[in-house]
Amino acid sequence: MTGRPEVRLSMPARAEAIGVVRQALAGMADALAIDPAVLADMKMAVTEACTNVVVHAYAAGDGLRAPAVGDGPLEVELLTDEAALTVAVRDHGSGLDAPGGKAALGLGLPLIAALSDEFEVRAAGDGDGDGGTEVRMRFLYTREADPAEIHPIGETGWEPPVSSG
Amino acid sequence: METNSIALDDTEGDVVVVLVEGEHDIYTVPTLRDRLEEARGRGGGVVVDLNRATFLDSSVLGALLDARRHAQEAGTGFAVSVGAEVEPGVQRILDITGLVPVLPVVNGREAALAAVRDDQDLSSPG
Repeated sequence: MTGRPEVRLSMPARAEAIGVVRQALAGMADALAIDPAVLADMKMAVTEACTNVVVHAYAAGDGLRAPAVGDGPLEVELLTDEAALTVAVRDHGSGLDAPGGKAALGLGLPLIAALSDEFEVRAAGDGDGDGGTEVRMRFLYTREADPAEIHPIGETGWEPPVSSG
Repeated sequence: METNSIALDDTEGDVVVVLVEGEHDIYTVPTLRDRLEEARGRGGGVVVDLNRATFLDSSVLGALLDARRHAQEAGTGFAVSVGAEVEPGVQRILDITGLVPVLPVVNGREAALAAVRDDQDLSSPG
């Protein structure tokens, strides 16, 4: 999952940054004439990855209220190759085993899996003591299959609450 | 720039409509939760109108599910409405999470109001 870096954003990891990331994705999708359905999936998957950084990476947020002040950066990199756009979302926070927020529904990674054609979560550090997490998501310009059918959310064990009755 | 506003419309009398416009995520979800609580405080049913929403993330779904649970506990009606043409940034997350029948999501504000009023009738004694 590599490609040519086109855009690199680094912002304080605050809730208001996530909309800026979506704007950057929309601009890139426009330049690459990406299908609106793929763009919608990209925005959703990348939003969930950025939300994880804002809520979990640096602060003990409860997920209900966004932390007022970010203590570290949210880094987003957009890379292109001939077949796909890859989005890397990075933090320099406490690593992979942060507790889940109350309001996150536990849907972040299931949504990323269902909306991207390929993704990986890995430690972002280079062994130099700099911790952090990186989520890399790849979105094909032209899809042969719907990733939500290959990785349905129900398969992750997530279930919606039962219908009212 | 589009507006990302959340407003209450109480012209329907017994049912408060929470009108959600534009893009919503954890930045605006505290406001959404406040508006939903305000709507709940009126004591009647609640419709969340997503007709003019363009993007929702999972934290918004969490707020909607909580509002639905509160309405169930209080025995009041709750429904979400979408327009005839739903933005992919709204439809997709509702579809893949299976929440359309759960919330429930209804086509059109009038149908949502009717669904909420049906709920009220069923839960009121007599």
